[in-house]
Amino acid sequence: MAKIVVLGAGISGHTAASYLRRKLSKKHEVLVVSPNSNYQWIPSNIWVGIGRMTRKDTVFPLTPLYKRKGIGFKQAKVVTFHPEGDAEESMPFVKVEYTSADKKGQQEKVTYDYLVNATGPKLAFDMTEGLVPGTNKAYSVCTYDHAEHAWEGLRALIDKLKTSGERAKILIGTGHAKATCQGAAFEYILNVEKELVRFGVRDRVDMTWISNEYALGDFGIDGMLLSYGKDVMKSSDMLEMVFRDRGIRWITGAGVTKVEDGKAHYENLDGEYKTEEFDFAMLIPAFSGHGFKAYDKAGGDITDKLFKGFMIVDADYTPRPYEEWTVQDWPETYQNPSYPNIFAPGIAFAPPHTISKPRKSKNGTDIFPAPPRTGMPSGITAKLVADNIIESVNNGKITLPHKGSMGNMGAACIASAGYGATQGMGISITTFPIVPDYKKYGETGGRDVHKTFGDIGLAGHWVKLTLHYAFIYKAKMRPFWWLIPE
Amino acid sequence: MTQKITKSQKARMQNPIIQFFKYLWLNIKIIRIVALGHGGTRKG
Repeated sequence: MAKIVVLGAGISGHTAASYLRRKLSKKHEVLVVSPNSNYQWIPSNIWVGIGRMTRKDTVFPLTPLYKRKGIGFKQAKVVTFHPEGDAEESMPFVKVEYTSADKKGQQEKVTYDYLVNATGPKLAFDMTEGLVPGTNKAYSVCTYDHAEHAWEGLRALIDKLKTSGERAKILIGTGHAKATCQGAAFEYILNVEKELVRFGVRDRVDMTWISNEYALGDFGIDGMLLSYGKDVMKSSDMLEMVFRDRGIRWITGAGVTKVEDGKAHYENLDGEYKTEEFDFAMLIPAFSGHGFKAYDKAGGDITDKLFKGFMIVDADYTPRPYEEWTVQDWPETYQNPSYPNIFAPGIAFAPPHTISKPRKSKNGTDIFPAPPRTGMPSGITAKLVADNIIESVNNGKITLPHKGSMGNMGAACIASAGYGATQGMGISITTFPIVPDYKKYGETGGRDVHKTFGDIGLAGHWVKLTLHYAFIYKAKMRPFWWLIPE
Repeated sequence: MTQKITKSQKARMQNPIIQFFKYLWLNIKIIRIVALGHGGTRKG
């Protein structure tokens, strides 16, 4: 009998647990440890942030589902890693601390044969002074709580504009020089713009996009050359076209350093220190690792064998200049090299480097996006990790036939650009591969332009809505859920 | 010079009949790109 412990119940952790339970016989134990009692479909938070969906549309409780499916669940957060056990426990274990009301603060050793670390990122608001969701007129849509607060803030501004006749400024984008997840901010600004039109106040709002990207449409993956209708265009041109059409001003190459009441201070790549005022802002924070510690059997600190901010996996972490980066640097199995029974899919793995070209301001400040691993890559890497563990359990030894490098994996970003069955809008972008392969696709910016395309229209909104319902159906493990791909 | 979204393009983007067929095409295309095939990049 094998015991597989999954840390985290987000897209990655829940996907891994679902496949492990489905394919492993019941004599093997699958246990999920997550500090949150709910599953949340994060991509729809942007609709919560404009009041078109509520929290109940995007979350559901995990305990009844896991009980029904035979998956163990502890509402707890991991505190420390002990991959060799300790003086009293011969099995490897993680020390967890309960977050549920009935056992809050209690600690426990959770042993495992295989460990899936799908703890995702820490939302590092503290890395930007004054960036606290719901204060200083600045908000976030990273969680359903944040998104609800964002809608309250936006709704209050809309109400004020409807009654006062004043003008207002809205600022949306990234809140740190090395933030990622530009796609979520991009969706949010377009949805907010559309809602302002719906409420009849758009003409009194100046909207500004602020981002650490060198150019629009970088998205943390170095931008892309894509097919758009019969043309081939840069993603920067496509986004510029959309922003111009919507009357949205943009500031790129900007690292927000400090947020005060209605003010965002930032440094740009020219080394200038500037301030942007706002009446409502939504700024995505930096993502960081959780700062976990790891110990060997004797209690010695071995954190550097497991973590490099995020978890160390089978990537090539040798420092090299941007020009020498290759797709082979990126991990294929998400297995920790020191402890082969530990895996880290999704956002939890430490990337070998960024995907976008690193840039410094004239003052030496790093201003460029961190690499995204959210959404589809999280699901795909979690499934392949689960498949490898299943093979290993069934074979009685670690075998890794399933591989999936982000340098040989496609992704779709279906960006909502406005809500509504007939008035909605979506910007659909696919990219293959996610990490550009400049050797294989040297003529087309590292991507296969037949598989890298963009499209704008109502259909994109319908696709995004379909994905919302399909992925929640899948997450609830309803009949034939596994037929829905990651 | 950046392209502009013309009025006729906008009309097509919001036309439910055109967009219905585009919806089918997008789903098939996305599934083919994202779901069908990923793998390693290293030899051996």
